[in-house]
Amino acid sequence: MNPRRIPILGIIAVQLIVVATIAASYARLDVDDTAKIREAVTGQPTYPTVKIEREQPLLIRPLYDDPGVVSDEELAAVLKKIRPKFDAAQMKPNHIEHALRTWRADATFEDPNVMSGAALVDFLTDHGKYLASWGEEVDPLLLQRKEGVAIRWGRERGASVHHDHWLACLTEAGVPLSEQLFTPSQRDMTMNDAVQEALRDLRVDEKETEWSALAFGLWIPPTKTWKSTDGRQMSFDMLARRLLRGHKRFGVCSGTHRVYSMMVLIRLDDEFDILSDAARDEMYAFLENVRDLISVAQFKDGRWPPNWYDGAEALTNPIDGPMHRTVIATGHHLEWLAIAPKELHPPQELIEKAADWIIANVAAQSPEQIKASFTFYSHVGNALALWRSTRPPDFWRKWRQTHPFVPGEESTQTKADGGAAGKTSAAKPPKKSKDSSH
Amino acid sequence: MATTLSGPDVESNEAEETELPDASVLEDKVPDSLRISAKAAGCVALVGFVFLILNYWPPLWHTDLWGHLAYGKMIWNSGSLPNTEPLMPLAAGVPFIDTAWLSQIIGFLGFQEFGVSSLRFLYSATITSCVALLLWRFHVRTRSVLLSVAGVATFVLIEWKQIVIVRPQLAGLLCFIALFTLLTARRWARWHWLAVPALFALWANLHGSFPVGLAMLGAFVVGRAVDVVRRTRNIRAAFMDWRVWRYVLLTQLAAAAVLLNPYGLRLYAEVLAFSTSANLDSIVEWHPLAIRMFQGKVAAIVTLVLIFVYRMSPRRVSATEVLLLVGLGAAALWTSRMIVWWAPVAAYYLVIHLSALLSPLRNAKQVVEPPKRTGLLSFVAVMVSFIFVVFTPFSARVLHGRDVNIHKVTSDFTPVAAVEYLKENPPQGQVFNTYEWGDYLLWNGPENVQIFVASHAHLVPTEVWSDYLRVINSSASWESILDRYGVNTVLIDYRYRSSFIRQMKRNDTWRLTFDDNDRAAVFVRRKPIL
Repeated sequence: MNPRRIPILGIIAVQLIVVATIAASYARLDVDDTAKIREAVTGQPTYPTVKIEREQPLLIRPLYDDPGVVSDEELAAVLKKIRPKFDAAQMKPNHIEHALRTWRADATFEDPNVMSGAALVDFLTDHGKYLASWGEEVDPLLLQRKEGVAIRWGRERGASVHHDHWLACLTEAGVPLSEQLFTPSQRDMTMNDAVQEALRDLRVDEKETEWSALAFGLWIPPTKTWKSTDGRQMSFDMLARRLLRGHKRFGVCSGTHRVYSMMVLIRLDDEFDILSDAARDEMYAFLENVRDLISVAQFKDGRWPPNWYDGAEALTNPIDGPMHRTVIATGHHLEWLAIAPKELHPPQELIEKAADWIIANVAAQSPEQIKASFTFYSHVGNALALWRSTRPPDFWRKWRQTHPFVPGEESTQTKADGGAAGKTSAAKPPKKSKDSSH
Repeated sequence: MATTLSGPDVESNEAEETELPDASVLEDKVPDSLRISAKAAGCVALVGFVFLILNYWPPLWHTDLWGHLAYGKMIWNSGSLPNTEPLMPLAAGVPFIDTAWLSQIIGFLGFQEFGVSSLRFLYSATITSCVALLLWRFHVRTRSVLLSVAGVATFVLIEWKQIVIVRPQLAGLLCFIALFTLLTARRWARWHWLAVPALFALWANLHGSFPVGLAMLGAFVVGRAVDVVRRTRNIRAAFMDWRVWRYVLLTQLAAAAVLLNPYGLRLYAEVLAFSTSANLDSIVEWHPLAIRMFQGKVAAIVTLVLIFVYRMSPRRVSATEVLLLVGLGAAALWTSRMIVWWAPVAAYYLVIHLSALLSPLRNAKQVVEPPKRTGLLSFVAVMVSFIFVVFTPFSARVLHGRDVNIHKVTSDFTPVAAVEYLKENPPQGQVFNTYEWGDYLLWNGPENVQIFVASHAHLVPTEVWSDYLRVINSSASWESILDRYGVNTVLIDYRYRSSFIRQMKRNDTWRLTFDDNDRAAVFVRRKPIL
């Protein structure tokens, strides 16, 4: 070939070589590679999806029905105090989420001033309801994304406070995957779109991952890996190690939500094998350490201090702070212990003492005080119900059959409930007869 | 008597024996193509000397090199390329396209077989090859050794801050210069059709900088087309021009050859996405070129000289050179690391225009006779090259099994003693380290050390990188961040983080356990987070 001349055949040959090479290379790509290339070329992120095999989220069954921890009367008294009664204007999503998590989507109340589970779900999933409460002065709670629904969270007014807390609460409340979400401009989104968006949106080392771990664990098993929008390969192992990482004081509610989420993941791993053996062992060891710390960190009256992670030192150097922090620590520890195997329990009498203290504490609070710290007290209600192997709505329904609603009973509620709590502790079975049943 | 009588005969014989044959009549049997001139021999000696020097100096840099060796080791030992980041625990799961896998394996195998001297040997061979190619190309275009050497010196001066760091980018630079050398050849040879795609196939596996080469080919296509249209005032002429077609076909072949890599098309996606990493914004070498930088000053001076030379040069200015100088210059202004590609181009066009500018002076003194080329000079050049190679530490290692001490060839800033300390006192759990030292910690640190970050910053999740910056900048939350990550050991440098070290010294939570006088400090948490 004359270097100063390029024959047509040469040009055609080069075109064939190039096309063949590109075709061969393209044929080797898998779905992820193709998406990555499309993303690089168009500048638009890809939206991976995870196939979710269930319509209803998984449920972590409580392991004990122990009236020695909480009697029916005590549980009823506590639940009565934490019924979701909120002002219609500017209802805080965080309160509604906690109420829904405790009372579940199927909760019903005779008292017209108390929000039903369905109403709680509506507020969180229907922008119209949210708008009715907040007006136009704040941004919507449900944020429309290109391929999903995100939740406005943070310290802003009218926002869900914690990342993926909205999702975790609706999930724990048993809201189905097909539940419709009404964003400001779309009416064809469902809970699945929120789950998928959260899966894509996860950043392992963001400040809080407790609720992400919880929600994903209750939705996607046996799937154990997925991809975020930036292409990062996520797994329950990574979430486990993230929850394990760092000082125990870190995490919301004095680090107790980390503990709860770890316990949930271990329970799910029992059934679905979503964790590697190493990650599971690390988490189990962490929980054993928590057990040991709270075994020596309890005050004589049964409360656990906010700095429970300091172990025995917490008793000599307690953190000065508002009472609700002690309620948080005690209530949340009771909650994870209710779904934990016995090997992870501190001595039984410590659990009972903790329950006694928290029940008495709830009884002593006025409705206003409960309302101000509703989120923390809602955990108490859920924890105590778990210790009776029940769900608050089921228990409440049953309770009402023998204790019917009387209009106007609210006016005498505070005094009566306080008195009831005081009496019921004496009505508990003797200590020696307390035995947990699975 | 007899002696006297026989005297004249003896003298006559001695005269015959001592009389040397006329060497000029001897036939030089070295083939013409292998004979070189005295100037060429001098150039070989110069290049050889550069090679020798680079085997001893500069010291091995404290950053990227060690990380690349660690990746090379991991790939070689596992026999496969990782799909996700394998060495930084906080970046687990992050997709990883290793654009330098071949360089990393070559570096690791060199180290494994021949120790640290092999790294300097590879380094000096790469830089020397760049210098030799440029010197050759400059000389072919100018016929002036002085100008050629000046051009190479300009190149080295602009590049200095870049080429002092041993890393796969140097392999990319060599490929770039080889391509440039081919494209600026006076005569196009048939083997170039194979050489260019082969070069790209190699380049795509050595370093992710091959798009710069494709861009250069693109500049030749466009530049040539513009020149043709400008000359003929006819756009169609550009489509009929065989050179335009040559460059187009070369670009196509090169782009296809790049696909001969383990990732195929995904490699393109990776290199396109790489520069968009927000983490790179906080790394100095990815900052825009500034006059306060050494390379910024040199680039500014060279640019001024270029402007002057272009103003005065009688040589025609091609559109290609404008595209290359402006395009690569703009890229360097965008991010200073791109200056590595501008330097050889700037040096080349500076030299050829300077040559054109000085041609009247040089023509007056030009020797009519071509330089004498002899086989003897070729032999001398080979021997000199051999001597330069023999006197390298690498040869000592190969011939005598004697390697240099790694601690004596690393840069001052390398945390050699601190890392030795950590090997003797293995850290528990997560370590916090500066990103400059993450690579060395990976390579030479305790087994399975959990580093925080390393120089592969684009692979670090943004939230981790953001936390890293907060800590090293001594923000108010530094302590809680270290708590949150469960960091029990901190390895930190004095040079840039002395204020942070002062803060840590004042903090009761941390105990200074190692301090090697203004280089590195190691802090350990008094009560480890378990």
